Amino acid sequence: MGFGDRGGGRGGRGGGRGFGGRDGGRGGGRGFGGRDGGRGGGRGGGRGFAPRGGVAKGGRGFGGRGGGRGGGRGGMKGGAKAVIEAHRHDGVFIARGKEDALVTKNLVPGVSVYGEKRIAIENDGDKVEYRVWNPFRSKLAASILAGVDNIYVKPGSKLLYLGAASGTSVSHCSDLVGPEGAVYAVEFSHRSGRDLVNMAKQRPNVIPIIEDARHPQKYRMLVPMVDVIFADVAQPDQARIVGHNAQYFLKNGGNFVISIKASCIDSTAPPEAVFAREVKKLQEMQLKPKEQVTLEPYERDHAMVVGVYRAPAKK
Amino acid sequence: MTALANAIKRKTHKERSQPAARQKFGLLEKHKDYVERAKNFHKKEKVLKTLKRKAEERNPDEFYFAMEKKRTKDGVHDGRLTQANKYSQDDLRLMKSQDVKYLSMKATTDGKKAERLQESLHFIGATCGSGIAPAPPAKKQRTGAAAAASGAGAATDASLPRHRHTVFVDSEAEAQRFDPAQYFDTPAELLDRTFNRPRKEQLADRRAVQGSASKSVEKRKYAAYKELAQRQERRGKVAAVAERLAYEKLLMGKGRKRKLGAKELAKAGVEPGEGPSAKVFVWKRERKR
Repeated sequence: MGFGDRGGGRGGRGGGRGFGGRDGGRGGGRGFGGRDGGRGGGRGGGRGFAPRGGVAKGGRGFGGRGGGRGGGRGGMKGGAKAVIEAHRHDGVFIARGKEDALVTKNLVPGVSVYGEKRIAIENDGDKVEYRVWNPFRSKLAASILAGVDNIYVKPGSKLLYLGAASGTSVSHCSDLVGPEGAVYAVEFSHRSGRDLVNMAKQRPNVIPIIEDARHPQKYRMLVPMVDVIFADVAQPDQARIVGHNAQYFLKNGGNFVISIKASCIDSTAPPEAVFAREVKKLQEMQLKPKEQVTLEPYERDHAMVVGVYRAPAKK
Repeated sequence: MTALANAIKRKTHKERSQPAARQKFGLLEKHKDYVERAKNFHKKEKVLKTLKRKAEERNPDEFYFAMEKKRTKDGVHDGRLTQANKYSQDDLRLMKSQDVKYLSMKATTDGKKAERLQESLHFIGATCGSGIAPAPPAKKQRTGAAAAASGAGAATDASLPRHRHTVFVDSEAEAQRFDPAQYFDTPAELLDRTFNRPRKEQLADRRAVQGSASKSVEKRKYAAYKELAQRQERRGKVAAVAERLAYEKLLMGKGRKRKLGAKELAKAGVEPGEGPSAKVFVWKRERKR
């Protein structure tokens, strides 16, 4: 609260003089505001002049008239009265209250990754912190709200995340898999890779890989066999990319979750046709789709396809 | 007072401050402040009183010297009510640009606030009630989307676009047998609860379904959504006004331009609007340095 730049230079003096004449102790002029005279200049001491009612901060806080510092913003903290509802998927929760939000339990309490809201809930004395997972930004969150049967990203699983970008969704995946699991986050762009790496510094279960997902052989030394592949690469050949990565890293019977953006694959065809075509391509790569959800109202013309890789034959 | 009296340390009397509980009323008003406020109030009161009396006592037949110069025009008193050309074109343009800046600033503020709100308001439940449809395998050239088109259900919110959930099964027979409750491993009455369908074993031991949140929680949620809707609406309105003003400002600026006629509009594929937005201008191409 920069008080240096408003309220005139001379406020805030004064009181220090102890037994000065009456006027001497009253602090200097206030610099702005119509009312002159020595009032309101504070009684000396540190805080000195304060904005008088109506200016800037609305006359709350640290008044010049003594009373100490009123404390900056009032009001309750974000999630003081939120209620948490458990979810079908492990590690995912729904917060109700002033929020109406999908949340994950924060692996690193006290830290926001991309400026998202955090909600602290006190449960019989112990505090749990949740991070809001915005479905308008994350397609995985949108697909959860759309009711997908299984996201396969659960505590302890190993996840290969293609198209990690700045690591916003990756951070939530890292919350989901927990300390026992691992997220191998692949991103080609150096610029967003920088944010990804910074995020990974605080989360030991995230392994950032700045490589092209088209060439899995380049990072084959970094990634073990994984349980799930998540892909949000938005490339016309994304089915091929996922299939290629699955050949290298996905265990038999492992699962894949792919977000398909219709306009990125074919902007002329109707989205439904594009999704069907992609599903077919996936089948050719031995990626057997189990279900597909479109992501309205969070995204337009997006679909999430989940399925299984080289499923064991049914008896 | 003597110098000696000054030298004795006396008790310093501090001003009383506004109690914390009344902080919302601003700074505590002292007598000094009150006097000033009261004086101002009475001054205005007096003015109003005088004006009122003058109006009451006005004599319509009274003569004023100003009447000698006044004329009527077509039987109507020709009084100049407004001053024409008070501001130059450039002045007006400047004012307009300030208006535009202010409005677009307000629109941005509202947009940002709405965005911030939406970060934690996820329209949970908006996806409820959409249909689930099993699809035969794509091998048979029947796409899942076609089978899913029957997705119907209780429309919870007609304004939001519906999403579509397709489940792929191995054969036509399996598609016939498909039972969503069994597939999702959840009670049939929870199938519509798209955002969270707890599994059957979860229902036993977890607080998975908390249908009846407390009343205050519901109230706060409602208020938050209302604020979001209002902010988004206002953002749209203010932005539209700002855009219109910006266009008017451009019209006041330099460059030769002419208004497009209805035919030309149709040719350009612009829908003829109503009101001030109906005017569409085209500028003459001029080489600029």
